[in-house]
Amino acid sequence: MNSDRFKTPANAPSRVASSLRSSTAPKRDSLAAELERDPKMSTAKRQQRTQAFSSHMSQAALERRLLAAEMAKGELERKLIEKDAQVDRLEADRRWLAEREEQEKAEKETERALHVEEKAKTDHELRELRRMYMTLRDEHAELRDEHAALERTTSQALSVHKNESSSLRLQVAQLERELSDALALAEQRSAAVEEVRAQMDDLSFVQSGSPRGESDTAKWNVIHNEVQSVVEHSKAVERENARMKAELERLREKRTNVEILREEKIALERKLRGVEELRTQVGKLEGELAAARRERAEWAHRARQLDSPSQTPISVTQSLTQLRLEHAHVLENHGANLALLRQREAELQDERAVVLELRASLDESNQRERAAAETIAQLEQSVALAEHEVGFLQKFNASFTLEAASHDASMVDEAKEQHVKNLEELLEQYKSRTHELETEMNNLKSRAVSTGASPSVRALREELEKEREAARDALTTLEKNKEANEQHLETIDRLEQTLFELRGEIGAGRHIPPNTRILSLRDNPAQQWADLRQEALDRLRAENGALLRRLHELEEGGARTAEQEKEDLVPRESLKVALEEKMELEETVRQKEKRLRRLQEVFTAKSAEFREAIASIMGVKLAFYQNGQVRVTSYYDLNASFVFQPISSKKEGSARMQLIAQGEGGPQELPQLMRNWVEKEQCIPCFLASVTLECYESWKRDREMGIER
Amino acid sequence: MSTKQAPTRQAITLKGSTSLVTEFFKYAANTILFQRGVYPSDDFHMVKKYGQTVLVTQDLALENYLDKILRQVNKWLLTGVVTQLVVAIISKDTRTPLERWVFDIHLVEQPAENAGSRTAPKPETEIQAEIRSILKQIVSTVTFLPIIDEPTVFNILAYTTESADVPADEWVDTDPLAIEASKSQQVKLRSFSTDVHRIEAMVAYRYEG
Repeated sequence: MNSDRFKTPANAPSRVASSLRSSTAPKRDSLAAELERDPKMSTAKRQQRTQAFSSHMSQAALERRLLAAEMAKGELERKLIEKDAQVDRLEADRRWLAEREEQEKAEKETERALHVEEKAKTDHELRELRRMYMTLRDEHAELRDEHAALERTTSQALSVHKNESSSLRLQVAQLERELSDALALAEQRSAAVEEVRAQMDDLSFVQSGSPRGESDTAKWNVIHNEVQSVVEHSKAVERENARMKAELERLREKRTNVEILREEKIALERKLRGVEELRTQVGKLEGELAAARRERAEWAHRARQLDSPSQTPISVTQSLTQLRLEHAHVLENHGANLALLRQREAELQDERAVVLELRASLDESNQRERAAAETIAQLEQSVALAEHEVGFLQKFNASFTLEAASHDASMVDEAKEQHVKNLEELLEQYKSRTHELETEMNNLKSRAVSTGASPSVRALREELEKEREAARDALTTLEKNKEANEQHLETIDRLEQTLFELRGEIGAGRHIPPNTRILSLRDNPAQQWADLRQEALDRLRAENGALLRRLHELEEGGARTAEQEKEDLVPRESLKVALEEKMELEETVRQKEKRLRRLQEVFTAKSAEFREAIASIMGVKLAFYQNGQVRVTSYYDLNASFVFQPISSKKEGSARMQLIAQGEGGPQELPQLMRNWVEKEQCIPCFLASVTLECYESWKRDREMGIER
Repeated sequence: MSTKQAPTRQAITLKGSTSLVTEFFKYAANTILFQRGVYPSDDFHMVKKYGQTVLVTQDLALENYLDKILRQVNKWLLTGVVTQLVVAIISKDTRTPLERWVFDIHLVEQPAENAGSRTAPKPETEIQAEIRSILKQIVSTVTFLPIIDEPTVFNILAYTTESADVPADEWVDTDPLAIEASKSQQVKLRSFSTDVHRIEAMVAYRYEG
């Protein structure tokens, strides 16, 4: 530093001197004089001065370098401190991360334990459900078997009854046949009696006619006739009685048969009711089975879901599934109830049909009864008539006996009287018997009215009432179920709303369902765009960084030479970009050139074609020059060539040609032709045509001569 | 007999249903890309499908991309591991997701084997009508969705189960491209179903009202 201070003044005057030299040229200072005076000393001094100057320069350079080094050192120290800080920060981060990791590990452990526990629980439940399912299935099978057995027994019983009824019908038919036979027999017998009576009549007539007188015979005839009619009548009554007895027997038989059938029917219905109950039970069990199955599937599904711990919505989904399950259960119950109702309705229908049937049979029996009553009334009438007749006859008989007694007691035929008495007794007996039968019939009728039809109807009615009550109960339960159903529907609505919201969460991508991966193609448009952008950004950043660095270097290193600066002014990145751009441009240039070349090729090919066409049509060859001139050579004489130059006329669109040179050859009359066509007529096509003609003539001539030669 | 025949018929149904669903995704994605202006409308040409005209892209790169995705989706559908497909539309400049078109895929539960009550298969005309109405609804969503006036780009996400068979060199796990909760709106669209699958469509979009 001292030397610097020391040297600077020495330097300064010289500079001042040099600057002042121009203004004070004639003036010379002492130093100069001294120098002039002593050349040796001046040289020594100059040497000394140059040495001092060079040392000073080198010192300055060294100092500058020292400064630079110091600055670099400072920077490096700063960087070191930064690095230290960064290292510390990273260390802290690492610790924190390790802690986090440990925490996470602990959490995972607890979660795993929980999961294992839950899994065990669900397994247990699953097993239990499975067991339940198995037992239910067994029960179901058993019930089915029972049902089948019952069905079999009922069908058997039904067939047995059918057989019985058919056999009874057969019996009835047989009995009817027998009845008809008996009737026929009775008919025969009555015919025989008639015959016998006729014979007796004849005999009595003969008898009465021979011993007695005229009046006696007439009286006896009357008596005989009367007795005969009475006997006849009593026979008829007897017949009728027998017939009615038979009918009564038949009716009784039928009635007992009907009673038996009814009892059997009731027993069967009871059995059927039991079967119905079993059927409903089976339906219920099936429903339960389906529910259990579904529950099991649900559990399985949930167990699967539980394989990995999920987040909050699990509880929501669980409750949702539970509610759904309940809803399904209720629906199922509802269905079962409906089925029950239908069944009941069907049963009701069946019962109604049975009632109708019974009513029909009742009507039939009533009709039959009415017919029987009618016949009875007829019989009663006939009986009354007979009684009347009998009374009359008794009276008649009494008078007769009185008369006989008055006439002659000995004349009375005791045997006859006895016979008549016997007959009277018989009549009395018959009467009492008829009366008995009537009373019996009345009793039967009344019993049929009071007991025969009503009990079954009453039972049916009671049954009907019961059914109605059951139907009412079913309806009330249905109502209740409907209400419950509505409530469930409301909850379902609410849950669906939350479901929609949660779906929105998932749809907007804020929530990822558990056990789900989100995948996309590695090479997707968004990624491509991002890559492209990133690439451009990276390039620009690199370029910018390099430029900044360069700027910094330039600011620092003022000592560098201008040449060096010029060399390194453009950073490599910029150069790279420029080079890439250049390459691209070159590529486009190459493509353009290629295109141009192709066009040129096409153009030359086309122009060659054109020239050939001109040559073959016009008989001239054309050659176009760069400056627009056209050389025309005749096809038949290659020496006859002309050069034309276009002249731009003032009229637009037409360019005229001017003959500016001509070849060596050509026809002899060429000057003349030229004068005539070009100068006078100014029609180059005509000129060329005549030249072509001339040339052709000469060419033809030459060829002929050549051939001759 | 019936138990013997059932599986084959079901297999055919699954395959047919899968190809139907895949085809639907193709046309739905194309319709969305056209309607939301993700690609210039000159890139699309009209095609007759489902008894109406549908716009389908002619951009080769895009076609290849869609084909690749749909092939994989077809495989996944056959194994039943894909649960959701999402067409996400993203802003080019800010990279924020603007719209998410979500297609939920549900496997329809087959009725139990004691199915004397097995329902008759759904006629294809009915399915096509449902698809048609979804596509029409996608077209009509333009009326209420916010107008996009910035350049956008799209991505297709597939939600699969953990057990899905994933070709690792082509598919990668990715960000769900979620729309933030305070600015998200969603609209449920129609759905359609075959005998095997039920597809429920939804659009969630960013709306700064």
